[in-house]
Amino acid sequence: MNISAYRALARCVVLESLRRKDLWVVAILGFVILLASSTLGFFGFTGLEIFAKDMAVTVLGMFSTIIAILTSCRLVPDEVKNRTLYPLLARPITRLDLLVGKLIGAVAVTWISFLMLAALTALALTIFHVKFELIMVQYLLAKMMGLVVVCGFSMAFSVYMTPSASATVAFLVAFGAPMVTRGLILASAGNPALTPVCKAINTILPQTSLFDLGGRTVYIGWGLVPVWVMGFLFVYGLFYSGAMLFFSWLKFRRQAV
Amino acid sequence: MLKVGTILATSSVALAAVMGASTGSIRNEVNPPIKLVGLEAHDSHAAASILGQFRTSASSWLYLHADLYLHNGVEMRPLTDDEIKRGRRGVGGNSNEQKIHDDSKIVTVVPSAKDDFRGIFGDVERTTSSYKDMTGHGHNKPTASLPLFRLMTLLDPQFVQGWTTGSYIMLWDKNEEGFEKALAFLQEGLKHNPKSIDILTEIAASYLKERNGVRDFKTAIPYLRTARTVAAENFGHLSEDEREATLKNYRRLAVSLREMNLIGEERSVVIEGLKLFPDDVPLGRFWRVLNGEVISDAETSPPSVIKLAPTQDSASRDSEDGNDKNNDDEPVQVKVRII
Repeated sequence: MNISAYRALARCVVLESLRRKDLWVVAILGFVILLASSTLGFFGFTGLEIFAKDMAVTVLGMFSTIIAILTSCRLVPDEVKNRTLYPLLARPITRLDLLVGKLIGAVAVTWISFLMLAALTALALTIFHVKFELIMVQYLLAKMMGLVVVCGFSMAFSVYMTPSASATVAFLVAFGAPMVTRGLILASAGNPALTPVCKAINTILPQTSLFDLGGRTVYIGWGLVPVWVMGFLFVYGLFYSGAMLFFSWLKFRRQAV
Repeated sequence: MLKVGTILATSSVALAAVMGASTGSIRNEVNPPIKLVGLEAHDSHAAASILGQFRTSASSWLYLHADLYLHNGVEMRPLTDDEIKRGRRGVGGNSNEQKIHDDSKIVTVVPSAKDDFRGIFGDVERTTSSYKDMTGHGHNKPTASLPLFRLMTLLDPQFVQGWTTGSYIMLWDKNEEGFEKALAFLQEGLKHNPKSIDILTEIAASYLKERNGVRDFKTAIPYLRTARTVAAENFGHLSEDEREATLKNYRRLAVSLREMNLIGEERSVVIEGLKLFPDDVPLGRFWRVLNGEVISDAETSPPSVIKLAPTQDSASRDSEDGNDKNNDDEPVQVKVRII
């Protein structure tokens, strides 16, 4: 564990993101959310609190996933392309350290963007007089854990593919995995002989939908999620992103630079 | 050269302005007045502009979200044909509440533990998502979803289903205020969709509902007549839903004309209706009554003969003019015996 190296690498990723003005894009997106909310308010609709919350979690979930994928997919390929990988690897760090540091940086950028968007969305929700509930904190925590998984598999894809291909595949996995899971459940119910195959495929797929507490946050009367479930999500997120890191390293450790 | 450029640029801007101002006139081309009401059909207007597509998609999305409101966020799905064949049954609804939709063929999107192979992943999803066992479930009051209907019709005024379902929900509490609101809502919908059979028949049906012991046949008839004309002109292009609305329209128009003692017109309406829907039992019954036959309900009513006349009992009229919304969707299955 080379903590100081991780910190330095993560800091570089955040600074690079600032230099590329990615966070400005987040701010503009947030402004668009605010503007859209104000427009709804302008039309004088009342009773749209649930709809406003629904929109908020949908937009928040979508934008944060997009940011996570786009940030993670370019980290390693950019270092190779810009030849900045050589001075990095000339330092006393292993290739695994490099990947871990990059992943931590990607997670940091994604979390900063997510929290910025969340703050702006919260501001927009106040327009609709939406009351704060404790489940909203759980929603944010679970979503942040889910974003670690998204960063993990996006970075793993980028080690094996070109940045564009990895981003495309990552989008498909992030938004398509829940649909595939539904399909597997139907297939298994229709033909029980397929259940072991369905189980295997489902285990490999990232369970991003588990981290989405949006439904419970938006609608009324749903209680808090038990602590053991939050603990499970934490462990799963850690395990899955760790596995993705391992797969990245398998390829990257032998990659000619 | 500069002058020519300036003139060209000015002309282009003027032309664009004129075209922009005249977009209202192409609305009917982009969103045809006679169109399929189902969501799939609604989304299939490939000729619509990108903005139009966005609007229709947004309104369809909102329409689907209204269902989530009813189920307090629990996502439901219809059973697949395969599941029905395998004998799987839906979760069913609460029999004590007013029927909103058919719950006998829907299940939760997140499966119950016994239908889920995923083990702990399934357990966690049932905890983190808005899931609960929906067997014999109840619904949130539909009026909670009214803002969505207002929003979807504002976004896409040509989304007929938004107008008709919205008005149905406004009538939920069966009070005068709801009636006035529903009627105003439908009238607004009619302004945007003057040839919508669904909206016309819904307006007429609202007037035919009994208020203070009176049914306003006189006001309903013009709407029913307009719907009849539109349907007759476009019968070949009507969707299944619109055909159903047309059939109801013929029944209601026949009854209303009889109530207003316009027997000649009733005759032509019934003949036209039977040409389009030859198997329809109520229209066939109207035809027999018009020809002086006396009909009784052979199996369900007391042995006395019921003569269908302008002063018939309200129960039989309800089934004819679609007064009861829930029964409206089912064909009237009255076995007739000619005496």
